[in-house]
Amino acid sequence: MIAVEFREVSKAYHHQLVLQNVSFSIKAGTFAVIFGPPGCGKSVLLRLITGLEKPSSGRILLRGVDVTGVSPGERNIGYVPQAFALYPHYSVRDNVAYPLALMGVARTEIDSSVRRVAEMLHIDHLLDKKPHQLSGGEKQRVAIARGIVKQTEIYVLDDPLTGLDFKLREQLFDDLKQLQQSLQATFIYTTSDPIEALMLADQAAIVDSGQVVETGPLEQLYWEPLHVRTMELLAFPKANLLSGTLFVRSDQLWCQTDLFTFPARIDPAVGAIDEARPVQVAVRPQHITFGVTEPDGLLTCRAQVMLWEDLGGEVIVHLDVQGTRLVTVVSHDGDRLLGDETITIGIAPTAIVLFEPDTGRRIGQGVGM
Amino acid sequence: MAEVRVVELRKEFGPTVAVRDVTTTFPSSTVTCLLGPSGCGKTTLLRMIAGLEEPTRGDVYFDGERVTHLPPRRRNIGMVFQYPVVYPGTNVYRNIELPLLEEKLDAAERQRRIDEVVAILGLEDSLYKEIAQLDMGTRQRVAVARTVARQPAIILFDEPITNVDVNTKAQLKRALKEMTKRLKKTVIYVTHDQTDAMTLADQIALMKDGEIVQVAEPRALYNRPNNVFGGWFLGNPGMNFLEHDLEIVGDARRLTSSLFPTPVWVHGASDAPRVIVGIRPENIRLSSERTPTAVAGQVVRKAITVGGRYLFTVQIGEHLLRAKVEPDIGRQLQGEVWAECPIEWITLFRSDGHRLEASLSLQ
Repeated sequence: MIAVEFREVSKAYHHQLVLQNVSFSIKAGTFAVIFGPPGCGKSVLLRLITGLEKPSSGRILLRGVDVTGVSPGERNIGYVPQAFALYPHYSVRDNVAYPLALMGVARTEIDSSVRRVAEMLHIDHLLDKKPHQLSGGEKQRVAIARGIVKQTEIYVLDDPLTGLDFKLREQLFDDLKQLQQSLQATFIYTTSDPIEALMLADQAAIVDSGQVVETGPLEQLYWEPLHVRTMELLAFPKANLLSGTLFVRSDQLWCQTDLFTFPARIDPAVGAIDEARPVQVAVRPQHITFGVTEPDGLLTCRAQVMLWEDLGGEVIVHLDVQGTRLVTVVSHDGDRLLGDETITIGIAPTAIVLFEPDTGRRIGQGVGM
Repeated sequence: MAEVRVVELRKEFGPTVAVRDVTTTFPSSTVTCLLGPSGCGKTTLLRMIAGLEEPTRGDVYFDGERVTHLPPRRRNIGMVFQYPVVYPGTNVYRNIELPLLEEKLDAAERQRRIDEVVAILGLEDSLYKEIAQLDMGTRQRVAVARTVARQPAIILFDEPITNVDVNTKAQLKRALKEMTKRLKKTVIYVTHDQTDAMTLADQIALMKDGEIVQVAEPRALYNRPNNVFGGWFLGNPGMNFLEHDLEIVGDARRLTSSLFPTPVWVHGASDAPRVIVGIRPENIRLSSERTPTAVAGQVVRKAITVGGRYLFTVQIGEHLLRAKVEPDIGRQLQGEVWAECPIEWITLFRSDGHRLEASLSLQ
């Protein structure tokens, strides 16, 4: 069953195209994350689903029915906006009840609905308080409760945790995930934060510059990305990108970057490499081995440590390799902490993924030496 | 060189107590991070040290000299705020030079100081750019440079990298690290971000509800929090906490738990009837293979996290645990798993949340 489908949807404001020929669908009953950098068009996408915006062209289907011309009020969607404006003079109870009161639902039914969502979001003890008596995390829970109080099976959440302290967000990840599972509803959730996307999504749509560049189940997107922006952005820390050149020498295909040269393989569909051509070279931080002593099979180079960022369980290491910045991440074993120093890093060529610069499509990868 | 000491420092705003009788020392030439969630009182404490906030009671001393009621200008401090304080209508060089013109320095000394801070903060390429052309991270480096160039003995930072975009954050952190290492100033740095604190601090003062909970070096705080709050607040996610009753067996105490295949002995917990077992997610081992020290569990949820590692939620008996494992292991695991909680990675707390000075053994 498909909850939401976009068919060749474009959206322009004053002749400025913000969404370009977007087609994708969201399976019902899943936690779907629309992920992309700020300004990529994901909020527009969300507003098209709720009906707050109309597409310039193309069709939008909800539950298999074309709703392109249907007004927001008739789409039967729950909505949690980004900026949580709670009514300051209303109690938490009345804030949560507001969408139902607006629909003219009977008081007894409102009460039981409010109680149900308040329990789910652990705010049942706060129902008689006013917003100013709540912490930031509690306010956010109230806003989410208000968005889901209407019983339906599609809910849209527009980057609802943005601006919250990391610790508050961390607690809400589990609650949101549990909420979606217990409601057995479709959650459509936008964020530009990779950890949030990774923690929450069953499936994701990656948006970049007004286009959906890739969709799929989360683990597939992470481990087998088909687009350079998926590999780069849907990860924390971000993947390292280098520019390279593909060329053939003695019947073997090679890829050369400023830092190293390695044998490569190109998907047959790309065709033969007759002359040298540019390529984007991507490698994940965790695939850069740190402090290599036996470089068998690894591409190695000397790197200067610029900064250790200590996350507690992991350390993100920022490196300078002959003027190129690389980022790697290592587990924290014990109390080892290093300062500025020069070390040898190693990369297995098989961990390197190659993308076409113009289209961003994956075209091949490195092979063992 | 300047040591900062606060003694029974308190600040009330109406009925709210923002800072609750805090006594602590910020050692000379050391970076201390005041770390805590929003509303814990860290910024109010910093502002009282700066002289921007009048304490309700208590005192502030710089090198033993009482400065509690001195205005900020007479305290020989520098301060860097969330939003960079720079003059927008002019270039980077002038921004750094302006505060120095008030200092009665000769031209050579002024130039020497400018050159020094420009090199430390990596501003060589931006020197003659207008402020309006710069991103937030570079503006903040300029704000730091003009503060540091005056050579105050004490530099106070209030969440200076909060408004900087992700791409320039690392660059700014590197600059701050470089600056503190080279100039050996007494630095007090307020942040709610545990990674920033762990990265920049020589010592962290962890705050909660207007009080300092613990002062320790970053790794010591991470590995040996003296309160469940520290275990929870540091780490992503923080520690697992699992409450257990202790069994009295003669003089000894025994802990029987679904987390361990056999009961575990607790030494030094004679007066505690209940304990909280604390263990960090990355210290729990998960495997599809049974080992003698592991117990059976059921995967409730799994997600990809930092560096492709997996964060699992695992049900073990009545306990729900979070465990973080390497990518290769995490990709394979699902359903039934074997979980090991190595006793050397366990911290025990009393039921009131304070660390219990007790040790565990298998025999």
